[in-house]
Amino acid sequence: MKTVLLVDDSRAVRLAGKRIFESLGFGTLEAGDGQQALDVVASHPTIDAVLLDWNMPVMNGLDFLKTLRSQAVAQPVVVMCTTENDIAHITEALTAGANEYVMKPFTEDIIREKLQETGVL
Amino acid sequence: MEDEILKEFLAESWENLGRLDSEIVGLEKNPGDKELLASIFRTIHTIKGTCGFIGLTGLGAVAHSAENVLGKMRDGALAASQVTISPVLEAVDEIKFLLHGLEASGKEPARDNSDLIRRLDVIATGIEAALADAPVTAPLATASSVAPPAHSVPATVSVPAAAVAAEPVTAPGPAKSNGPALSANAELTGEHPTADGDGASRSVADLTIRVNVDVVDRLMNMVGELVLTRNQLLQMVRGEDESKYAAPITHLNRVTTDLQEAVMKTRMQPIGNAWSKLPRVVRDLAKTLSKQIDLMMTGAETELDRTVLDAIKDPLTHMVRNSADHGIETPAVRRAAGKPEMGTVRLNAFHEGGHVIICIEDDGAGINVDRVKQKAVQNGLITEADAARMTEKEALSLIFHAGLSTAEQVTSVSGRGVGMDVVRTQIERIGGTVELASRRGSGTTVRIKIPLTLAIVSALVVEGGGLPFAIPQLGIVELVRLGAEDRHRIEKIHDKAVFRLRNRLLPLVGLDDVLGLERKRAETDDVNIVVVQVGDDQFGLIVDEVFDTEEIVVKPVGQLLKSVPLYQGITILGDGRVIMILDVAGVAASFGGIGGQTSERDVAHEGEDDQSGTTSLLLFESQPGTMMAVPLSLVARLEEFPRSAIEQTGDRLVVQYRGNLLPLLPIEGDYRGTEVDPQPVVVFSEGAHSMGLMVSSIQDILEERLVIRMQSRRAGVLGTAIIDARATDLIDTHYYVMQANPEWFTKKPDLKPKRVLVVDDSIFFRQLVTTALENEGYRVRAVDGAKQALRCLDGGDAFDCVVSDIEMPEMSGWEFAKAVRERGWAELPLLALTSLAGANQESKAMRAGFNRFQQKFNVDRFLAAVDDMISESQPGQQEASA
Repeated sequence: MKTVLLVDDSRAVRLAGKRIFESLGFGTLEAGDGQQALDVVASHPTIDAVLLDWNMPVMNGLDFLKTLRSQAVAQPVVVMCTTENDIAHITEALTAGANEYVMKPFTEDIIREKLQETGVL
Repeated sequence: MEDEILKEFLAESWENLGRLDSEIVGLEKNPGDKELLASIFRTIHTIKGTCGFIGLTGLGAVAHSAENVLGKMRDGALAASQVTISPVLEAVDEIKFLLHGLEASGKEPARDNSDLIRRLDVIATGIEAALADAPVTAPLATASSVAPPAHSVPATVSVPAAAVAAEPVTAPGPAKSNGPALSANAELTGEHPTADGDGASRSVADLTIRVNVDVVDRLMNMVGELVLTRNQLLQMVRGEDESKYAAPITHLNRVTTDLQEAVMKTRMQPIGNAWSKLPRVVRDLAKTLSKQIDLMMTGAETELDRTVLDAIKDPLTHMVRNSADHGIETPAVRRAAGKPEMGTVRLNAFHEGGHVIICIEDDGAGINVDRVKQKAVQNGLITEADAARMTEKEALSLIFHAGLSTAEQVTSVSGRGVGMDVVRTQIERIGGTVELASRRGSGTTVRIKIPLTLAIVSALVVEGGGLPFAIPQLGIVELVRLGAEDRHRIEKIHDKAVFRLRNRLLPLVGLDDVLGLERKRAETDDVNIVVVQVGDDQFGLIVDEVFDTEEIVVKPVGQLLKSVPLYQGITILGDGRVIMILDVAGVAASFGGIGGQTSERDVAHEGEDDQSGTTSLLLFESQPGTMMAVPLSLVARLEEFPRSAIEQTGDRLVVQYRGNLLPLLPIEGDYRGTEVDPQPVVVFSEGAHSMGLMVSSIQDILEERLVIRMQSRRAGVLGTAIIDARATDLIDTHYYVMQANPEWFTKKPDLKPKRVLVVDDSIFFRQLVTTALENEGYRVRAVDGAKQALRCLDGGDAFDCVVSDIEMPEMSGWEFAKAVRERGWAELPLLALTSLAGANQESKAMRAGFNRFQQKFNVDRFLAAVDDMISESQPGQQEASA
């Protein structure tokens, strides 16, 4: 089973994401901010994809992404989650190593499409 | 599926919003605080982001517009000022409103928020520059120390859990959950207990586990049961030295105690959770009232039980609101008073001996006692006469009565019917106390003392009327046991039993009497007095027996008993008996011994009725502006000593006086005066002992009707008299003579256990005479009328001497003396003690049957007369009775 790490400070959003990924046949892990996400990645080397929120306390999505990409671990596909407020910065995320991005609120169809585009599905 | 996401959304939104108010107010004070801005932005951002998933378009739109404004501020394109922040606060309120509606109905309420959204958008886009350039007024209300993020919803607690990794989340608990229990059962998330800020020591070990409060409550309940079972086992092995169960039970005992503490800890929450709303409350109030108020909060991390926390949330908010609304003055008034324009409301919490103390302090105008009285009179709470005779402290306590708001104008903020009476009731319901202190012009302090927890309390088990009862230790001050031979030290003042405990009058009541139980104690038994504290007051509860203290688990009383204020709960003792837990405040109220308005008034009114004559009073100032009085007849002399003549020996002041050393004492308590030269001194004598009371100035001597009210609160004060329509404290001369001559007061041994019957309708003189006689070692029975005295004599009570007043209602002293003689007590010494004077009065007394005639107040002569009479009459009396 493929595994996705859902990184978002909102439990509601994580729950929504979890529903979608489970329905797509994924196992899910969760983290509430970038720092937690790094911890999870360190202890779970087999993560296939990360759905990453931008704006989070402690460590934001972009910083997590930069740190992740600089680490010598198996690199998962990262789909950046944004809202229109962050869209202007999306190139920054792509430069930092994001593979794709989705706008909130995302749907199962959009997620499937993005996962197919990045080769996870 | 959407249901759960919705629930999760509501839960986290409430958490974040709880923090938001303090943050936004904090931002207003520190417009440049990037951290705060980022956190605020994120909260709104998250709400907006999630709205899309659940299809909450109305909510999403408001959040979106607010987010835009906050985004500009975050990016530095817009200054955070009162003008720009107010609409954001409005948006936050609207978001809360929508969330409430959503929570209640499951549907988003339909609201037209186009105006709010337009104003937000205007700020974010068009005229933002103009607005930002507008003169920025000084921050109105600010929060100096913002409470730690109130991170959890009221309905959940966060518990630090070691090493809970972000495992794949297991299926959440039952989907159907009604009511506001928002979070699913025992769901694990990777949620940090604190929000942003310190990035230090972040690790997986910091994770918390979110548990539904119901689970914790059940746990607590079960621990309670375990404690009870433990108590039962302890009881069983008690006294068995060699029990084979002793060791395991000791272990069980320890584990139970640890478990109890641990579970208790899971229910603990920082008090800051109850404070998080306050900065916003104060800020809004300040804005509405055009005041400048700084809210300072310290001790927000002080932890207390969730149930207690819930119970004090509303009272706290109310009191802070009160301080801001009624306490702090407008900037102009403050300036005129020489105070900084910015008023301060200080909130402080800390632990003190198993309790939590919360102080709410403001540097405002203080409470205008006269206005409180006036208002109370207007509202029919008290009469004009009551108002006149009230001391400042009593008047202040009026604040806690229903329907009393002292702001000249009932503002829209505070004058809303929820008064301090509700505050007090709520706090007393959880076993707490409220104290109020106020100084005109410099502010008011409210001090709340509450227990850490309500679930398990330490209690004293007592017996009254043959039944066991538990009294929470919290209210118990001490235990006093009077041997049967000391019973006479219990005095009667106006039908109320009192006991002079370390110079204070302690009202007494029998537990059996209060509860209407059959009296099981005999007159010859020792007297067990449980001294309990209710608010400022103490009273003594007479019980049959005192047993052990026990940790008891408080169970609520059943429906049928709910309305009985005497009980606060039920518990099960170690031996399996189910017993009632007494509510001492309820007991105090029911016997009306202390504090209660009505009882004081009753006493006063009755006092008026039976007090016909007037009394000469010496009026003096204990300190400039504070009048006190003492019956002139108790005063030996008035003197003035140059300060240079006053010497210090050890810790005492003395002065050379008539070849002796006269001990000098200042007035105690709040009345301690300033030094004056020469020092006016009021000299009292009792027996061979004299002492001088240092006063500020001698004022006047006047004839006044004495209306004495019993009160037990202050040492050295006998009661309150109304002089010139003002309540004036009356000095207890006996107390001071005793203070000055401690060795003298050691009671004379019962060498002459002679019995004296005192008949006087005035409480004051009855007490005075009784005390004087008792100090000489007599056994005294005091009654308030001649008829009652005759009943005593008829009933077979033997006395060695009878002391009677002359002027009494119903039956005068003349008639009484005649009746005594007519009934055959020919030799019983009868002493007339009167304020009447003159030779013909004296001969009239003799004709009526009195043996002696004494003027009131000359204690020495009076005591000598009694002594004389008894020794003269003893042989004769013995013959007569033979």
